[in-house]
Order: sequence, then structure tokens, then C-alpha cells
Amino acid sequence: METDAAAMSFSGNWEAVIGLEVHVQLRTRTKMFCGCVNQYGGAMNSQVCPVCLGLPGSLPVPNEEAIRKTILTGLMFGCRIAPVARFDRKNYFYPDMPKNYQISQFDDPLCAGGAVGLDPFLFPKDLQESDEAKARRSIRLTRIHLEEDVAKSFHYEERSGIDFNRAGTPLMEIVSEADLRTPGEAFAFLGSLRQVLLAGDVSDADMEKGQMRCDVNVSVRPVGQKEFGTKVELKNLNSISGVRRALVYEIARQIAAVEKGNAIQHETRRWDDEAGATFTMRTKEKAHDYRYFPEPDLLPVRTDQGLRSAAEKSVPELPAALQDRLMKENGVTAYQASVLAADRALCGYYEKAAAGTKHKAAVANWILNDFLATQPDPATTPIKPEYFGELATLVAEGGINSAQGKKVFAELMANPSSPKALVEKLGLAQISDAGALGVFCDEAIAANPRSVEDYRAGKSNAINALKGFVMKKSQGKANPTQVDEILKAKLSA
Amino acid sequence: MSAPKLNVADVAGLARLSLTPEETSKFTAQLSQILAHMETLGQIATGDVPEVVPPAQPALRPDLPCPSLPVDVVLSNAPAHNNDLILVPKIVE
Amino acid sequence: MSLAHETLASLRRRLSSKEIHSRDIVKDLLTEIGAREKTVHAFTHIDEKASLAAAEKADPSLPLGGIPIALKDNLNALGDPCTCSSKILEGYRAPYDATAVARLRHAGAIFLGRTNMDEFAMGSSTENSALGVTRNPWDPTRIPGGSSGGSAAAVAGRLAIAALGSDTGGSIRQPAALCGCVGLKPTFGRISRYGLVAFASSLDQIGPLTRTVEDSAILLSALAGHDPRDNTTDLRKPETFLSKPEGSVKGLRVGLPKEYFLPGMNAETEAAIRSASQWFEKNGATLVEVSLPHTPAAIAVYYILATAEASANLARFDGVRYGRRAVDPKDLLDLYQRTRSEGFGPEVKRRIILGTFVLSQGYADAYYRKAQKVRGLLRQDFESAFTKCDLLLTPTSPEPAFPLGERTQDPLKMYLADVFTISTNLAGNGAISLPCGFTKSNLPIGLQLIGPRFGEEKILQAAHAYEQAHDFWKRMPPL
Repeated sequence: METDAAAMSFSGNWEAVIGLEVHVQLRTRTKMFCGCVNQYGGAMNSQVCPVCLGLPGSLPVPNEEAIRKTILTGLMFGCRIAPVARFDRKNYFYPDMPKNYQISQFDDPLCAGGAVGLDPFLFPKDLQESDEAKARRSIRLTRIHLEEDVAKSFHYEERSGIDFNRAGTPLMEIVSEADLRTPGEAFAFLGSLRQVLLAGDVSDADMEKGQMRCDVNVSVRPVGQKEFGTKVELKNLNSISGVRRALVYEIARQIAAVEKGNAIQHETRRWDDEAGATFTMRTKEKAHDYRYFPEPDLLPVRTDQGLRSAAEKSVPELPAALQDRLMKENGVTAYQASVLAADRALCGYYEKAAAGTKHKAAVANWILNDFLATQPDPATTPIKPEYFGELATLVAEGGINSAQGKKVFAELMANPSSPKALVEKLGLAQISDAGALGVFCDEAIAANPRSVEDYRAGKSNAINALKGFVMKKSQGKANPTQVDEILKAKLSA
Repeated sequence: MSAPKLNVADVAGLARLSLTPEETSKFTAQLSQILAHMETLGQIATGDVPEVVPPAQPALRPDLPCPSLPVDVVLSNAPAHNNDLILVPKIVE
Repeated sequence: MSLAHETLASLRRRLSSKEIHSRDIVKDLLTEIGAREKTVHAFTHIDEKASLAAAEKADPSLPLGGIPIALKDNLNALGDPCTCSSKILEGYRAPYDATAVARLRHAGAIFLGRTNMDEFAMGSSTENSALGVTRNPWDPTRIPGGSSGGSAAAVAGRLAIAALGSDTGGSIRQPAALCGCVGLKPTFGRISRYGLVAFASSLDQIGPLTRTVEDSAILLSALAGHDPRDNTTDLRKPETFLSKPEGSVKGLRVGLPKEYFLPGMNAETEAAIRSASQWFEKNGATLVEVSLPHTPAAIAVYYILATAEASANLARFDGVRYGRRAVDPKDLLDLYQRTRSEGFGPEVKRRIILGTFVLSQGYADAYYRKAQKVRGLLRQDFESAFTKCDLLLTPTSPEPAFPLGERTQDPLKMYLADVFTISTNLAGNGAISLPCGFTKSNLPIGLQLIGPRFGEEKILQAAHAYEQAHDFWKRMPPL
């Protein structure tokens, strides 16, 4: 597969400058400014009240949980939390806007600054070994603020129909600085961002479900130039990989244009995933004059009187720190750590499993290599996490060998029960008694004179046939390490 | 604050109002007069106006659901609706 | 005597003692309405059947049990129209109660009549109503004031016992002054705005129009208090106002802002106000000259900030979800433009355009942001004045009611008449207007008392003392 660089015809003279504007639906029970439920899939227009319908006389009141979750997000990304945050009205007319202004934040957002670290494992698979992934760049954020979402419209031949259930749901806007340089980085940015949001239980942030939406600003400039080129805004990006594809196309398009000496139009373009290209959107009108002004219906929000400290209490262990800890303290591989960090439920399951044993890396292997393949739901599985701790301990400390361990695992999946019990049930207890093993070894030596001769003649591999004989005779229960010791002792006697 | 360039037709457009030519000229004259009166503001020194201190505990809303309006009530005031959706002329991007 | 001529306080006592029934009050009011409403046109809607039915079910043991109250037509009341005297809200039926309305209901009040107003509360004469003008009961060739002209005319004209209005730049106080009744604008944040169709969010307040100060206090007590649905309402504990009328102004420091007493004032107004201030002095109050130096800028500040907020508040009237929609719109833009152009009257359009302009790119700093800063200075003026006095005493209106049609072509002149009331809204303080005299041609003159923020008790005490020492409140227009 050709690399992004090749696809973008990087002649080496150009660099792309990319910034992202991400809208994230917050997981709250109710909407941003009223008590209607914040729930996907309700019957049309059944989750609507005077406030979110924009009836005359209605007034907004901010959702405390939405504010707390936004502050929490800011803390997770290392932002400055404003001691006093304010709401503003953003004025424009559109049928999905019940008031024809959106309550948002302009001058005094809840969070400013901060950064998103690009997790190498969250780059596209084909780029994980690349320099750009290994660079572990940190992408600065400009701000994070809170606003209300708009209604949903459905388009027919001559009319459009509007469902106001989504109108007024809490939306967090995260704006990055123009620090990204490649489509791969943009891909990793979204994945890394999402992973932190999941860790904080702030949002499920699934782009394909519309829980996270992304607009992209991209321009190109000659390498080494300080000034930015003309930027183009891209819309209609419906998945993280779609963002990458759109950027690959658009950067190539821009480079091709400027190499020909053509100017880039400052415009908004629509990504068409099927066609694999961006197209000029019908330019609505000249640049919007949103006429921002402070929302007079809402008092400024002081975060230093309890909101911030409440958010601080719920800052989770962040994915980067979690991965570090699992590698250092549990001995899991970097890849395994990334898989666990990406799935909090699974990670919690793993940590419970690893808690009761010192063989924590082995537990990871069982869970990630074997258990995960069965597509379990860690929250509801009848297979208790402690079982894996037990299993790892049994194999490591000589109760059974690894082949037997696999048998226990299979039985565990079919009939969940403590591995110790299963070992009994399956009659798999490993034979470690030196006397018993000695008998088997004697049998092996007696039955395989040729191998004995070869071994004594210097062919050390010949011992394997004898080991195999012992394992077969003992129905796989013999402790292989001990067998090896005993055979060697006898053969050199 | 110099004499402002108030283009009534442009501003009316922003506010989704379409004015007749008579309205446009009448409003232009009236609003110019009103804006002239407002010129005085420019001369007032406002360097040291203290910020209003926001209250310590804003009355935020706990994240608890309240009953919504029944759908038929929502639609009862809508000039056009079908299949529980409120209808407008087709929205073109 | 017709029950329509009595005060709320008196009717309350008589209802409570079962001497009269709520339906008796409603019937007497309907008789008065039958006789004079055709001339006065205080109301946009009257539902006789519903009011009588409500009267039957009234519970006189409640604080306002069985008292009929008129509502300005910009207050949402469940199931009723709420036109704001505009064509654009034709057909709209409120699916919810404004908090103020709910509180009155909870206190047992019933509703009789929705009152006429300047469209969307924009005006000082009620001539901007799309539903016809209201006439001053003292002289039907003259304006009742505005924007709560219908409420004031109804109360003064004995077509309502009491009414709710709204005040953004004087819209309760000025019509009260011109119609000779009592109008109270509470401190901003005292009464919930939830359900009041917004004109200017940081300036609007609901308030009572009544015959007497005592009636005003009764309604304020029922309406005031924090509302979780209105983030701008104050959190202080509810109180009962004027529960112990002192009847004395001894020791009160009464400030006279010099900017409100300019040469060339209307002579009769000046004489009445001077006489009132002398009464205070004779009765133990001290008169103090104070200054509110930024007063000359108030009109400019008001018409920038109020129209800016209004331009956004009225954006929701677009024919999509409720109200009137233009017939056969050819596309979305046509829907918006025609609905709004056909639905709004000229004053509303003028203010929306002005408000949009002062917020627009390139002008917002010089106009909107500058006005916000000067507003801060006005607030400071009041705070500083109240370190030297307890209440401010001023005229409510520069002149008594002028003839209908006199100013409709001169919006700036109309705006300039708001000069005495506007600053109070900008500063957020509470103020009351009550009758203090009559002109030679029997037109009422109003006295305004402004208090420090949340100083309504002080205002009501002083106003009550002044009122009860005079007979103005007893005078009725020719009925």
C-alpha cells in the first residue's frame, strides 16, 4: 500500500498544516439548558420543552453535570480552567436552531490551552512503525468550550422535516492549534482524544454514531515558510479513517494546484467518501457575522467554588499513565498496554484478574490472546477475572504445564469454574513427584535405547524423544522441567 | 466614533427582514438620526469601569430529567407538520 | 358601589369573610367592561366564560383567592393566546404558564382579560400595537403610555382590579403615571422572567399595576422569589412586603438627582413633583441634592443594549415552530423574510435593524461594547447616590399624556421621553410610580421613587406613607 506521503505527491517541498475542530456529545442525562432527556432514538419531537423548542418566554438554565464534565475534560488535557466562564449568543438563522441563536462560549470558555499526546498505537495500523508515530508528538489545543447542539433535519423532495429531540443537547467543542502535519497524525489525534474522553466517562465519542463530529482546516506551504497558506475547511467527515482519506486527497489537491501556480480558494469543501474527493460546497453567503454577545439570561459561572474540585476528584488515570504503569509494574508489552488502555472495561477486568497473582504478564497473555478471541463482555461474563489469576499461577508455579493450561482454558470457557477445580475435574494435576517421574524416565530409557545411545554420543536433541515418551506415558501430566532434569541426571550417570 | 455606514438593506438582510423601498429610506433617515444621538457615547471615558462580580454560587441545574411536552402539544402550534416532524421548505446546503 | 371600584386589599378582606363571592367581582368588572371597553380598548382578549368558571372554583382562603387579575399579553398562561400585540403570534396558544402566572394561580388568583401593549413591548404609547390603540381613560384622545398601556388603562379605568405588566425602560411606571395608578418595577432578578416573552433580557422585569401601594405590595409578595427556571433571579429568602406599614417618612433621606430637574421642564409636572418633595421634607425627611452624572448618556446606552438583545430575542419568530407563517413560501429564505416582514410592525423592525447593526462586525466595539461599559458607569452613579440618600425622588414622565398620533412619525422624540425611567432598568434598581397630582385638564402626574437594589420595602413604605396622606389615589377618571 502506498504511503500517505506518496499519495499526496509530497515532492518534499511542501508541508501540510492541519487544525481540527471536534464536537463531542456529552454523556449526560439531560440537555444543556433544560431537563429534557438527552437520549438517542426517542420518538420524534417527544423530548422537547418550551426551552429547547425556543418558545416565546423560555429561559435557559445550565446543566451542572455538563459543566463538570467539560472541566474534567480540560483537566485531562492539561488545560487552564477559567475561574469565571461565560456563555455567549452566536446569532444566525437556520431551521435546526430553535432560537436562531446558539448559546455557546466565545470570550470566556471553560478551558484554554492544553494538549493531546499522539499515542503511537492509535496511528493507522500501516503507520505504527513510522517515524511520525514514534515521534509521540503533542498537539496543542486552543480551547474547549460548551454549547448546545442543534436539531436534526430530514430532507425530502420539496420539504425538510425537523426533529427537535437533539436540539439543546450538550456539546463540547475542542479546537486544536494548527499543529498537525499529516493525515496520520490527524487520525491518531482523534483516536487519542477519544481514548481520553472514554477514560473520563465524558462521552462515547463514536464518530460513526455522530457522537463526535470533526471539521478540518488544512493548508499547505513551502517547507520552512512561517506564514500559513490559504486554508480550506473540510466538512462531512463521518469516521476517523474518513478524516485521513479526506486529508490525503485534499493535501494532494492543494499541492497539485500550487505547484501549477494556482491560488487556493479560501472555502468550505465537502468530502464525498464514495467518490473519494472533496467538492466545493455551495457557498451559502459571505462569511457569517455571528454578532457574538454575552448571554444575558445566564450568570457567569464561577468554577473555583466547587465545580473545579468536583471535577478534579473524577480525573481518572489517563491512558498514557495507565499504559506506562501496566508495562512497568505488570510487565505487559507496549502493544498489550495499548489494547487494555483502549478498553476500560477489559482493563478493569484484567486488573482484577492480575491482582491475586504475581504472574501479571501471564494473566495478560491469557486474557488478550485467548479470552479476547471469544468476544466476551467483561461486565457480564460468568467467567470471573480471578480465574485467570489462578490459571496463570497454576501454570507458572508448576501445578500444570502450559499445554494442560490450554485444556483448562477450554473447559473454563465451556463450564466456568475455578481452574483449581477444573484441574481436578479433568484429572490434569501435573505430576511433580520425583519418584513417580523417575519411574517414567526409567521406562523411557528402557524403551528407547537408540536415543539413549545418540544422546550419550553427544546429540543433545536426542533427549526430546525420551521426553516425548514420558509425556505420552504420563498423559501429558509430567512436569517438563523436572523430567528434563531427571533424564539428564540418569543419562549421565 | 465617526458617522457610521448604516446600510439598512444589508442589516435587514442579516435579520431576515425584507423591506420595501419606502421602508428602507424611511428607516435610513430615522435610524441615522437615532445613531447621531448616540455619537455622544464616544466621548465618555470608560477606562476604569469595574467588572461586575459574578455571584459565588450560580444556580445551576442538577442533571435530573423533567417531563417534556407531549408531542401533540409540540405540534399544536406548528404551522406545518407531518409524521411528527415540523416541516419547512427544503433546506439546501 | 361597584366592586370594580375597590382595591385588591379591600376585596380580599370581603372575600375572606364571605361577604362577597369572586363571581360578584367578575360580574361587576364585566359590567364596567361592557360600558367602556369599546372606547378604552385596554384588552386584546377577554374570555368571560372561562373567568366566570374560574370564579366559581375560587378558594378565598388562599392569599389571592378569587381576585381577578389582568395579564399583559406578553405573559404565557397555559392554553391562552399570547400575542404580544403582534401579528406574528397569531394563533399561538401557550403550552405553559409563566412562573409569575403560576404563582398567582397557586395563590388562588383568577384571570380576567389579556391587556393591550406596544408590540413586543417596544414603545411608550401603546400605539405600536397591531391590535388597535388603547386610550387613556382620563382623556380618550390621549395615549395611556406604554408599553403596558392596556394594563394601566384597565386598572385606572376600573376595568381591572389589578394587572401585571412588564417594564424594560419604563413600561410599567410611565403608563401608571399617565393613567394615574400605581406601577412598580421590581429590582432586576426579583421576579422570574420565565414565561415573559423577552424584549431585552437584562432589562425586563414583570411588575404589578394597581390602585394603591398596598395592593402593589400584596402582589409583589406573591410574585417575588428565586425561580430555578430563571438563572438571573436572586437567591435571597422570600419576604412579605409592607406587612407593617409605618406611615412615616421621618429620618428618610430623599435624594433629588439634579439631572432629572432641568430648566424647561413641563411646568405642571415640575410643580407637582416639587410639592411632593416638600411634603416629604415637612414630614421629617431630609432632601439631598445628588447627581447621576451619566444620565445624558442613558438613552443612547438603552437603545443600543435593549435593541441588541431584542434583535436576538426576536429572531425566534420565524414561522417555523409557531405563530404566523407566510403563505406558500418559495424557499427557506422567503419563509423567513416574508413571515417576519409581514408579521412585525415598523417600530419592531426599526429596533431589530438597529440592534442587529450595533452588534455587527466592525461596529460592535464602538456601539455595543461601549454601551456596556457606560452602563457600568450608570450603575456606579446609582450606587454612589445611595450612599448619600435612602431613596431618589423624580418625575416619572417629563410630561403628562400627549395626544394619540402626535409622535408616531418621530421615533427619536418618542425615545427621549423615556429619560426618567430608563436609567433604573440599566442599573437594575427597583422603582415605583404613584399619582402625585393632576394637570389643569385633569391629566394624572406621576411621582417616581427609586430605591437601592432590593430596596423595595423602603420604596413601598415611603410610597404608602405619601399616598395615604393624599387623596390622589381615590380619584377616578370620568366613568
